[in-house]
Amino acid sequence: MRIVKALFLTLALGASVPLGQAHAETLKIAGPWEIAGIDPAQTGYVFSRLQVAETLVTADREGKLVPGLAESWSVGEDGLSWRFTLRQNAVFHDGSPVTAETAAASLNRALAGVGVLSQAPIAKIVHEDRDVVVTLSKPFSALPAYLVHFSTIILAPSSFDAAGKVTGIVGSGPYRVKTLTPPARLEMEASGNWWGGAPGIADVSYLAVGQGETRAVMAESGEADLVFSMLPVSVDRLKADPKLDVQIATIPRTRLIKLNAASPFFDQIEERQAVSLALDRTGIAKVILRNPELAATQLFPPAMPGWHAADLPPLTRDIEQAKALLAKAGWTPGSDGILEQDGRRFSVGLITYASWPELPPIATAIQAQLREVGIEAKVSVGNSSEIPARHQDGTLEMGLVSRLYSIVPDPLGTLLNDYAPGGSDWGATGWENAEMQDTIAKLAVAGDPAERASLQHRSVEILQAELPGIPVTWSELAVVSNKRIAGVEVDPLEVNYGVAAIRWAK
Amino acid sequence: MKRFLLARLAQMVVVAVTVGALCFILMRVLPGDAAMRIAAGRYGPDAGIAGAAEKVRLELGLDRPWPAQFLDWLGDLLRFDLGHSLVTGAPVIEELKTQLGASVWLAAAALFLSLLIGPTIGLLSGLKPGGLADRLGLAGAAVFRAVPPFVLGLVLMLVFSKQFGWLPPAGFGSPREILLPALTLALGLAAMSSRVTRNAVTAVASAPYFAFARYKGLPEPVVVRRHGLRNAAIPVVSYLGLQAIYLIEGVVVVESLFAYPGIGHALVHAIVERDIPMVQGTALTMGLMFVVITAAVDAVSLWLDPRLRRAS
Amino acid sequence: MTAIDISLATPHARFGASRLFGAALLLAVGGFAVLGPLVVKADPAVQDFSASLAPIGGDYLLGADHYGRSLLARLAHGARLSFGLAFLTMLAAAVPGVLLGLAAAWKGGWLARGLDLLATVVLALPGLMLVLLLMAFAPGNYGPLFLGLALTLWVEFYRVTRAATATILVQPQIEAARMLGFGPGYILRNQVFPAIAPMIATLSAFAMASAIVAVSTLSAISVGLQPPTPELGSMIVELLPYYAEAPVHVLLPAALIFLLVLGLQLIAQGDRS
Repeated sequence: MRIVKALFLTLALGASVPLGQAHAETLKIAGPWEIAGIDPAQTGYVFSRLQVAETLVTADREGKLVPGLAESWSVGEDGLSWRFTLRQNAVFHDGSPVTAETAAASLNRALAGVGVLSQAPIAKIVHEDRDVVVTLSKPFSALPAYLVHFSTIILAPSSFDAAGKVTGIVGSGPYRVKTLTPPARLEMEASGNWWGGAPGIADVSYLAVGQGETRAVMAESGEADLVFSMLPVSVDRLKADPKLDVQIATIPRTRLIKLNAASPFFDQIEERQAVSLALDRTGIAKVILRNPELAATQLFPPAMPGWHAADLPPLTRDIEQAKALLAKAGWTPGSDGILEQDGRRFSVGLITYASWPELPPIATAIQAQLREVGIEAKVSVGNSSEIPARHQDGTLEMGLVSRLYSIVPDPLGTLLNDYAPGGSDWGATGWENAEMQDTIAKLAVAGDPAERASLQHRSVEILQAELPGIPVTWSELAVVSNKRIAGVEVDPLEVNYGVAAIRWAK
Repeated sequence: MKRFLLARLAQMVVVAVTVGALCFILMRVLPGDAAMRIAAGRYGPDAGIAGAAEKVRLELGLDRPWPAQFLDWLGDLLRFDLGHSLVTGAPVIEELKTQLGASVWLAAAALFLSLLIGPTIGLLSGLKPGGLADRLGLAGAAVFRAVPPFVLGLVLMLVFSKQFGWLPPAGFGSPREILLPALTLALGLAAMSSRVTRNAVTAVASAPYFAFARYKGLPEPVVVRRHGLRNAAIPVVSYLGLQAIYLIEGVVVVESLFAYPGIGHALVHAIVERDIPMVQGTALTMGLMFVVITAAVDAVSLWLDPRLRRAS
Repeated sequence: MTAIDISLATPHARFGASRLFGAALLLAVGGFAVLGPLVVKADPAVQDFSASLAPIGGDYLLGADHYGRSLLARLAHGARLSFGLAFLTMLAAAVPGVLLGLAAAWKGGWLARGLDLLATVVLALPGLMLVLLLMAFAPGNYGPLFLGLALTLWVEFYRVTRAATATILVQPQIEAARMLGFGPGYILRNQVFPAIAPMIATLSAFAMASAIVAVSTLSAISVGLQPPTPELGSMIVELLPYYAEAPVHVLLPAALIFLLVLGLQLIAQGDRS
C-alpha cells in the first residue's frame, strides 16, 4: 500500500510541475529517426546532422562542397591521388587533436565496412603529415562528395574498443554526447573546444518520435523547439499557428515505381509508358502530399540545378493514350476488365514498405489508377528489404520506392549505383542501356562544367524516354520551429542541421 | 509453501526452454532472407542492402547449421548470457534493461490508474444492477473497448498536451511523461475490469451471506467493506494478473504513439528485422515474468480466500 | 485463475428490456454488414480525388475518405469483413477452447496436465509475436491473421471452461448421475453446458471485440490486410492523419464497432438482479 501511495504521489506531483521550467535552457529537438546502434554506417547521420561528429568535406545549403575537417583538397595530374589537408585547430571531445592519422584510421574503417566509401574506386588511404592521401584505382571526380557521407565521420581512437567496435561517439563537432539512451534519446552539451566557436545554445536534447501526429503535437504544445519531418496533412495547420515557423525545402528524393523490365508485363517500352500515362501524379501530390507542385514530371525536381531538364516533355496523365499503347503492345481487355495477352492476366504485385509513411497510401492510389487502364496491381506492404531481395531473385514485378539522390551530395553517386550493368537493388531491374552506362561513366571522370552539364542532360533524357523506373512524386522536408528560437535553416541535403547556429530569440 | 515454490521453479524452467525453442524454430522457418532483413534494420532503406547483407551473413555466421546455433544459445543461457542484438550490436540484456524496464513502469502506472477507475465504477455499477451507474458504466466500457488505443491516445494528447499544455505528448524517464500513455492504457483496461468487478460484485451481492449481513442490520458501508469487497476482490485480482501480462506485451501502438521506448515496440522491430537473440531474450524474459505474475496472483488469491488453500 | 469464472457465470438471466435492446442493436449492425454491401451500389475501392474528404450528407451520404471513396460503401463492406472475421476468430478460439477445457476437466490426469502446460506456454509467448510470425508467412492475407488471433484467444476459453467444469463435476447431483450410469454425453448436455453457456457467451462477446481491435492495432504497425480492402480497423488507421479536418470520418468505423460491442455485451450480460 505504501508503494502504491508513493507511486500516486510521484504521479500527482509530476503532473503539477508546470511545463517549460524543468528544461528551460535546453534546446529540444524531435525527429523521426531512431538511434539503433551507434556504428557510423548505421546511425552516423544522427551524429552528423546534430553536429556531434564531422566529416572531412561537407556541403552548404546549395549542395556545394565546402571544407569540413579538411580545410582544402586537391587532385594530382593523373586524377588518381587525392590529398585532403586537415585544419590544424580541430580537437576531439576527449581533448586529443584531430590528426591525419586518426582521420585515415576512421576512413579505412569506413572503407572496410558497409557504406558508400566501398563503392568508390579507392585503392588505399594513408596519412602524410597533415594530409590524408586517398589513392584511386581509376579517376573519379566525385570523390570529395563521397567524403560528405555520414558513414565517413571522423571519430577519436577512444570511440573504439580493442576489437575495433564502436563503443561511444567521441567526435570533433560543437556538441559532445552527454547521455545516449538508445533508441530514443540523445542529450548533448557544448564541447567547449570546437574550431568553429561556441554554439548558440549549450544544451540540446534529441528525442526520436516515430509517429507524425505526435511530432505535430510536440511542436504545437511547445514541448519541442525544433521538429523535423512533418506530415503533409499537418503542415497547413502548423503554418497557421502564431507560435510556430514552418520551413519547407525540396529534397533530392523521388518516389518512383521500380519495374522489372525483364518481365513479360513491362518488357516493351509501350507498357512502361502506359503505366506512366495512367498515373494521376497531380492528384496524388495534391491529396496525399498536399502540394500539387510535387507531381514528378521527370526524375529530378527543378530544385536540382543541372539535373532538371526543363525542356523535356513532362510526364502526364492520359488514360486513352495509355489504353492505346497497351493495345499496341498486344494486351486486350478480358471479361472482368483486366487486360489479357495469350491467356495471361495483367495482374502484378506492387510491393512497398512503411519506412516512409506516405508510401503505402501512394501505392493504394496507384492501385486504383492502374485499375482504370485494366492493370490489376496487388499491393503488399512489407519490409524495405523485400524490394532488393525480390530484385535479386528476379520475382519483383513492381515496387514503389523512395529513392534518395543525395546519398552523396552529387546525384551521380546514386545513378552510378542504380543504372550500373546488371541493374541494382533500388535502381533498374531487367533494364540495361549502353549509352546510359557510358554517359554516367564519363560523368564520373568529367571535370569541365559544360561537359558535365551536357552529360547530365543526356542521362536525364534517356531515363525519361526509356522509363526503367517511373517517377511519381518529388519530396519535400517540412521543419517546424518555435518562435522562441532563431537561426533555423533547413538543409535540403540533410547533411547537417546547423544546430550550433541556433540561438534563443530575444 | 516449499512445494509451491518448487513447482513454480519447475514451471519456469519448462516455460523458458519451450519459449526459447519455439522462438528459435519459428524465426528459422520464416520465409525471406534473414541477412537482408538484418541489413535493412541496421543500415536503413536508403542503403545498398544486398551488398550489406553479404557482409552480415559472413559476420554473423548465419550459414552455420541450426542445431549448432541453438545449442550455442542454450549454452549461453546457462551462463545467463542472452547474446548481442544482431541489429544494434548491444548486449540483449542491456536493451531489455532499458526497454523492458520502461514497459514495466508503464504497465505498473497503467494498472494503478485503471485500479482507481475500473473497480470503483464496477463497484458502483454492481451494487445496483440495472441502475443509472450500471448503464453508464456499460456504455462507457463499450466506448473504450471499441475505440482503438491509438485513437484514444491521440485524443488524450490533443486535450492534455495541445489544448491545456499540461503534459508532454512524448518522451520517457519522468513521471510527467508516463502519465498520458498510462492513462490511455488504463482507460482501455478499466473498461474491462469495471465489468468484471461489476459482475463479481453482483454475484456477491446476491449471495446469501451478503443478504444475511444486511438483515443483521449492519450499516451498508460495513456490509460492503466486510463482506462485499474481500469476496469480490478474488476474481478481480486474477483478472488483473492477466491484464498485467497483456499490458507488458501488448502496448506496442501506444508506445509508438507516445514515443515511449517499451518492449512491445522493440519486439516488433526485432521480429521484422529478424533479430533472433533479441526476440528470444524478450520472449524468454516476458515468459518468466508471466510465471512470476501468475504465482503472485495465486498467492494473493490464497491470502484472500483461505478455502482455496485446502483445495490445492 | 479459477476465480474468474464465478464473475462471468450469469445467475439466471431473463429476457428483459436490455437484452431486447441488445438484440435489436445486433440485428441492425448485423443487417448492415450482411445486406449493406448488396444495397449500396458504390464500389468501395473506386477513388475520386475531386471528392477527397467530402463532407457527410452531401453527394456522399456518409462522406468520402481522403481518396474520395464512398465511406458508406466502405463501412458496409468493412463491417461485413470485420464482423465476419471477428466471428470466425471467436468460433475458432471458442470451439477448441471449450472442447479441450471439457476434456481436461473430465479426464484429468496427464491429459489435463499436458493441456495446462500448452496453455501456459501459449500465454507466456507474447501474443503479438505469434500473430506477427504467422503473418510473415503470407503477408496481407486473412488466413494467418485469423489463425494467429485464434491461437492467442483460445487459451482464455480453455482455462475458464476447464475451471468451471471442474467445479460443476464435483457437485453431488453430477456424481449421482454418473453413478446411475448416465453417459458423458447426457451429463454434458444436461448439466454442464447449461451452467457454463452464459459465461462462454460473455467471453465470446469480449473475444470478438478483441479481434477487431487487434486487427486495427496490426494495421497501425503496417501489418495487416492488403489495401484497398475495406476493414473497419484499418479504415480508422488510414483516416487517422486527417483527424483535424474530418474527425467524424475517423470515428465512423469506431462507432460501428461500439454498437457491436454494446449489443453483444447487453445480450451476454442480460438483466441481472
